[in-house]
Amino acid sequence: MDVESMTTNDWLGVFFAVFVFVAMIYVYFMVFRPANKDKFESQRRMALDDDDHINSGDKK
Amino acid sequence: MEATQAIPVKYDMDVVRWFTIMAVIYLVVGTLLGVYIASELAWPFLNFDIPYITFGRLRPLHTNAVIFAFGGCTLMATGYYMVQRTGATKLWSNGLAWFTFWGWNLIIVLAVITLPLGMTQGKEYAELEWPIDLLIAVVWLAFGFNHIMTVAIRKSSHIYVSNWFTMSMIIMITYLHVVNSLAIPVSLTKSYSIYSGVQDAMIQWWWGHNAVGFYLTAGFLGIMYYFVPKQANRPVFSYRLSVLHFWALTFGYVWLGAHHLQYTALPDWTGSLGAAISLAMIIPSWGGAMNGMMTLSGAWDRLRTDYILRFLVVSLAFYAMSTFEGPVMSIKTVNALSHYTDWTIGHVHSGALGWVAMVSMGAIYHMVKKLWHTEMYSDSLVNVHFWLATIGAVIYVVAMWVSGIMQGLMWRDYDEYGALTYTFVESVSAMHPYYAMRAIGGVIYNLGAWIMLYNVVMTVRQASAARGTNAVPAKA
Repeated sequence: MDVESMTTNDWLGVFFAVFVFVAMIYVYFMVFRPANKDKFESQRRMALDDDDHINSGDKK
Repeated sequence: MEATQAIPVKYDMDVVRWFTIMAVIYLVVGTLLGVYIASELAWPFLNFDIPYITFGRLRPLHTNAVIFAFGGCTLMATGYYMVQRTGATKLWSNGLAWFTFWGWNLIIVLAVITLPLGMTQGKEYAELEWPIDLLIAVVWLAFGFNHIMTVAIRKSSHIYVSNWFTMSMIIMITYLHVVNSLAIPVSLTKSYSIYSGVQDAMIQWWWGHNAVGFYLTAGFLGIMYYFVPKQANRPVFSYRLSVLHFWALTFGYVWLGAHHLQYTALPDWTGSLGAAISLAMIIPSWGGAMNGMMTLSGAWDRLRTDYILRFLVVSLAFYAMSTFEGPVMSIKTVNALSHYTDWTIGHVHSGALGWVAMVSMGAIYHMVKKLWHTEMYSDSLVNVHFWLATIGAVIYVVAMWVSGIMQGLMWRDYDEYGALTYTFVESVSAMHPYYAMRAIGGVIYNLGAWIMLYNVVMTVRQASAARGTNAVPAKA
């Protein structure tokens, strides 16, 4: 690899590619960590539970 | 759940109702335009030598109508609906929401005027001229700001995954629209892109594929993650998988655009990178599709009787199919056969008719019942619509698959002397039966849209009549 000839754009691309790669590894770790399972899965019902507070503002 | 959810919240739903109604109207208009231009390709006399209705002018009007008019109104209706309900709060600004409603519809009216007149930037899915582009940016930012501020004032501690998908769409589409639309105006109706040559092509398809990835995928995945559990009355199969789906899609999709430019002046490695990431994207896409389908675990029997749920589940099947087909088509060997043929049109429409429109229809039917506090005027008509949409989409897609692969094979066929076996005109002539078949598929799909419009209008009238009847004793 010819590091000397790399432009600012090339370095920015390298930075973002590496950042995204590391960030994805972090996301996989965070999501599959057993200790986080209950924290995430406790939100499974969130869409279902929103009927409890419905008053859709109809004109009477 | 949070204690705050016990407190009744009065939502701003009038603007959602109007976006919903307009979405159904634009579905009818957009697919009708599609049927007409598909018919023009099969029977060219339908141009009637009138420049305003030639394929070249009506095609961008069709794509703008279905993507930005129907799709946009659906995204704004569902976006405003979901963010209020999952956040247990009103919109941050109801006035700003009405500004987005009128602004978005003004943009659509301007598209209807300018595109048939031939005023275009010539950039696919970004044809509208610079003054309209500025208006799009202002209205889209208003939608985004209102949505994000509503998330900020939510009363629930967690931001539901649907809102993450919607916000991802808002941020990325702002970025993509502004960068892709940078142009030098030379008059009120004419401008030239600041990019040229291969850079112009690269920016165009960076926009083009991410419009698919963030507008037509992320935005509608937000719809899927809210409306599939709601309609199935089952919690999301795996919330962890939905989080992974979101981040993998958000990080991954922006790399794909170059796969539209295989075998061009673009450096070879960029197309290969686009294809490699496209293949990698099968994993989160299928993970998301499975997550949606498995949400029905224990409730599959409901598909027999719940016609709205059928729309949502079949849309997921189309999503899985088209997110497998796309990466396969991006591989150079396959792309050599598929590119510039009708196979691409078939692929796009399996995503558009099967995934985007079907998930939208399911969400709209669900919302209509909730927004007007009523049952559908006719459940049987919802069922009829489901079958017309499914059959119409399948006929369309199969016609284009056969036509596209035949085109590709005819164009690359050589005889023993190294000369092309077929002339281009012979390939056009061979397409005619499939173009007619495509038009028939479109007619069937459009008929379903008319039935949906009738059913929705009658449902709203039924709800209004019931409310009027109930109001009489109160006044007496």
